[in-house]
Amino acid sequence: MRSMYTRYILLLSAVVIVLIMVVATTVIHRRERTEFLQADADRILDDHRLAPKALARGRRIFLANCASCHGADGRGSTATGTPDLTDQVFLYGTGRVSEIESIVLHGIRSGDDKGWDLAWMPAYGKPVPYARGKLPSLSPGEIEQLTSYLRALNGAVGEDPAAVSAGRILFQEHGGCWDCHGRDAQGDTAIGAPNLSDGSWLRGDGSRRDISRIIREGLHGVSPAFRGRLDPVNARAVAVYVASLHARKESK
Amino acid sequence: MSSLAGETKANLRAWWRPDVHNERRSVTLCALAAVLGLVIAGIGLFNARGTRVAGVPPEDAAVVNRSPILLSDYVVQLQALYNVSPSQATTDQKRATLNSMIREELYVQRGIELGLQNDFIEIRSALVNAVEAQQEIDANATVPTEQELRDFYQKHLQNFQPEGLMTVTDFVAPDLGSAQRAVIAVRSGQDLESAMAAGGLRTSGATDDGEEFYFAAEQHLGSTLFSIAKGLQDGQVSDPVADGGRVHVLAMRNNRRPVPEDYSEARDQVLAGYRTDEIARMRAGTDRFLRERADVQIAKGLQ
Repeated sequence: MRSMYTRYILLLSAVVIVLIMVVATTVIHRRERTEFLQADADRILDDHRLAPKALARGRRIFLANCASCHGADGRGSTATGTPDLTDQVFLYGTGRVSEIESIVLHGIRSGDDKGWDLAWMPAYGKPVPYARGKLPSLSPGEIEQLTSYLRALNGAVGEDPAAVSAGRILFQEHGGCWDCHGRDAQGDTAIGAPNLSDGSWLRGDGSRRDISRIIREGLHGVSPAFRGRLDPVNARAVAVYVASLHARKESK
Repeated sequence: MSSLAGETKANLRAWWRPDVHNERRSVTLCALAAVLGLVIAGIGLFNARGTRVAGVPPEDAAVVNRSPILLSDYVVQLQALYNVSPSQATTDQKRATLNSMIREELYVQRGIELGLQNDFIEIRSALVNAVEAQQEIDANATVPTEQELRDFYQKHLQNFQPEGLMTVTDFVAPDLGSAQRAVIAVRSGQDLESAMAAGGLRTSGATDDGEEFYFAAEQHLGSTLFSIAKGLQDGQVSDPVADGGRVHVLAMRNNRRPVPEDYSEARDQVLAGYRTDEIARMRAGTDRFLRERADVQIAKGLQ
């Protein structure tokens, strides 16, 4: 009889222990989740408690969702115009976790109203260069002049001075380039217009062929919106991970 | 006293004896299990994502009538209004931001209650755009395989060729005879400029800016002359063409016909084209689905 009671008690105890463990795990998980989501995103990388878990989780999410375009190492590809996430060149924003999180959730030109979609690089070699506004097409000669100007701006030698001068006037006046890239060609991270004077190229390597192709055919890459596919914790974790890629390079 | 305690202990033991049938025990244990089940279900229900009834979920800044105000939106709004992160923001800034978002949410909910989508064109357009945008979001999130992209590229090769380029001169002749003589002279090897000058042909000025994209040449020459120019080889002159009340002779200096770019060169455009195609497909599917499930009745005379 006694052994029967003992068995009952043991069984009951086991059930109670399992229940306590389930409840405790849920509470801990929920607390961690709350703490992570309510923390200031821009400070998570400096938080020695939150950062390691976020980075480990973020890397997993990155490999599953972002690596197909940006590569497993996050270096992107100048062949396809996919940004390098490990450098210090920011197309949008300044590399803060909160900004990256917003891109992860809402994307760039993704169709999401909350995403970044203020401007596209027009295709000046097409009859209608820009679908959203009236912009004139450029002639092949003008595209060559702009190319010469941009190459000279980035230190290329041997460009025809007359073409460089004509290209500068085009850039800063009726070509309309200045409207997004600025008169100094240093770009604007508020609208995703790259700096064209820093020797860093989103697509191609700054060769005459690559630059003239971008002017002719335009460029407007898309980063998908993951808000419907990633849990908020995962979205933030991957943002923390991506921000760490930039930060790592900076600390070297 | 001790006998009472002993008796209670004995009763308890008897209550637990599994070899003795005890209806009260069965009912009690059943009731306990039911209560436990209800508690577990209750916890699950009130903590389930999306239920939004037991407090504010960690990913939200507030919940207004069960509609969440996302924490990420709140952070973006704080940044937009005051250029500060949550840890830099003052209590007043946080409160003002959240209050304005709550107010907005309440007004949106009120708008829906009032059925304002029936009255305001902007709201209707915004709703249509939002549904279309949802399809765009889904399409943009698709990651096609390289093979799918290559297949798409092969199928739509003409979409991946840059504009053709031509350097062409449009000469205008005083009459058909002088145009014919000039053309014969050029074709028999005489220098173009001198042959044209001898026949009294002058450039029309339409394409004197040098190399042009095909679309620009078409605009400058008009469709009749352009279609002839497109077929000319480098160094070739056209037969005299009567167009717009004048006789033209086209002299092609350089004609670079459009050639599709390599797949590797055009890959980003192939991906963009693939997704555009996907969006169109999804929209057509949604249109069909909505039509099929809708009860649309059209007034007599308008069918």
